[in-house]
Amino acid sequence: MTCEQCIESIGPYFDGELSAEERAQVEEHLRDCPECTAAHRQLTETSSRLRAGLVRYEAPDVLRARIRSSLGEPARDAGPRLVPLASRSRLAWTRTIAAAAVVAVLSSGLTFVTMRGRAPASSLQQEVLSSHIRSLMPGHLTDVESNDQHNVKPWFNGRVNASPDVPRLDSLGFPLVGGRLDYIDGHNVATVVYTRRQHVINVFSWPAAGDDLAPVASSANGYHFIRSRRNGMESWIVSDLNPAELESFSRMLAR
Amino acid sequence: MAEQQVGGFEELVLSHLDDAYTLARYLLHDEHDAQDAVQDASLRAFRHFGGFRHGDARSWFLAIVRNCCYDFHKARRMDRSSVPFSDDTLEELPDPHAADELVLEGSESDRVRAAVDALPAELREVIVLRELSELSYREISDVVGVPMGTVMSRISRARVRLGAMLGADSRKAG
Repeated sequence: MTCEQCIESIGPYFDGELSAEERAQVEEHLRDCPECTAAHRQLTETSSRLRAGLVRYEAPDVLRARIRSSLGEPARDAGPRLVPLASRSRLAWTRTIAAAAVVAVLSSGLTFVTMRGRAPASSLQQEVLSSHIRSLMPGHLTDVESNDQHNVKPWFNGRVNASPDVPRLDSLGFPLVGGRLDYIDGHNVATVVYTRRQHVINVFSWPAAGDDLAPVASSANGYHFIRSRRNGMESWIVSDLNPAELESFSRMLAR
Repeated sequence: MAEQQVGGFEELVLSHLDDAYTLARYLLHDEHDAQDAVQDASLRAFRHFGGFRHGDARSWFLAIVRNCCYDFHKARRMDRSSVPFSDDTLEELPDPHAADELVLEGSESDRVRAAVDALPAELREVIVLRELSELSYREISDVVGVPMGTVMSRISRARVRLGAMLGADSRKAG
């Protein structure tokens, strides 16, 4: 075996891609050739540094949940279902959303409504958006400021007819900031405030008549909304956070 | 869709989600893009799962993930300057001096990551598939869609370049 042939073979040799016969030839050459031996040592070192230094990522739970949900796997919890709307590449997504929606509807019998940002905002959406924007002005974000749900939830008692759920989601990257009262659609509204990085997320909820409504995502004026109705409570999640993360948040909130 | 089919899909395809996400992270450099691409790939795979009859499910799925990453990157190139990732730029060498500076600082892990990121995508993907997911040349050939001989020479070129960029191991030198 020439040095040229050996150099060509040390990769496959190292990766276990050679036959026994080829291995023997490489090993025989390496015994007598310091240059090729040095090349082999260099390759071994590079490979072990890569394996030691590079991160092998684990798919986050949020991603698994999104995929399960979009495949329409029968629900294992009672949480609301949401067709993924993370649609920065709209062409690809339009097709996959359609496919996912069909699968999901067939399997679960739930109906989904997807609403694109170009649709004119409903007046209710406009009201929710106004409250959101107002909350971003200095001094308006919270009436009770606390990252402890045991402070925030009781604060609503007596101030609104139905105190909202205030799950703690810090460990999932959505720290609780506090609570606030708003007035939307003729109701006193309980608003729970979370953040994600520099983005504020307002969760508005109030008692509302009518059937349950699976989560519906929409966008207007650069803000993203997820509306749902469950157990007689209307809920709107609003933020300028990207739709994918807002959708994850919505799912965690409903758990 | 029958639940049974979803179950078979999960077992055969989604058990490789870590490999899929790892590949996407190294190709797209952004965790949200990577998640979107893998989700997109999972949906595509699910739709075509009925047609998947034989062969290795992991390679089949990773090939779809890789295609989705390329699609994502193409869509991004319009509005974002990024690491070259298309056929016309694959052969471009990164500026060796920039790479030197890049890998001089930080921990060993940072240095290794920076060196891998400085590789053109066609070399980066084979290194990730080989060193992290431990695919065989045959499997990599299926994922990337090139002959095994090409896989072999790309892995070899990638290792030589990485060895040169990384230089001596600082842990041993220090």
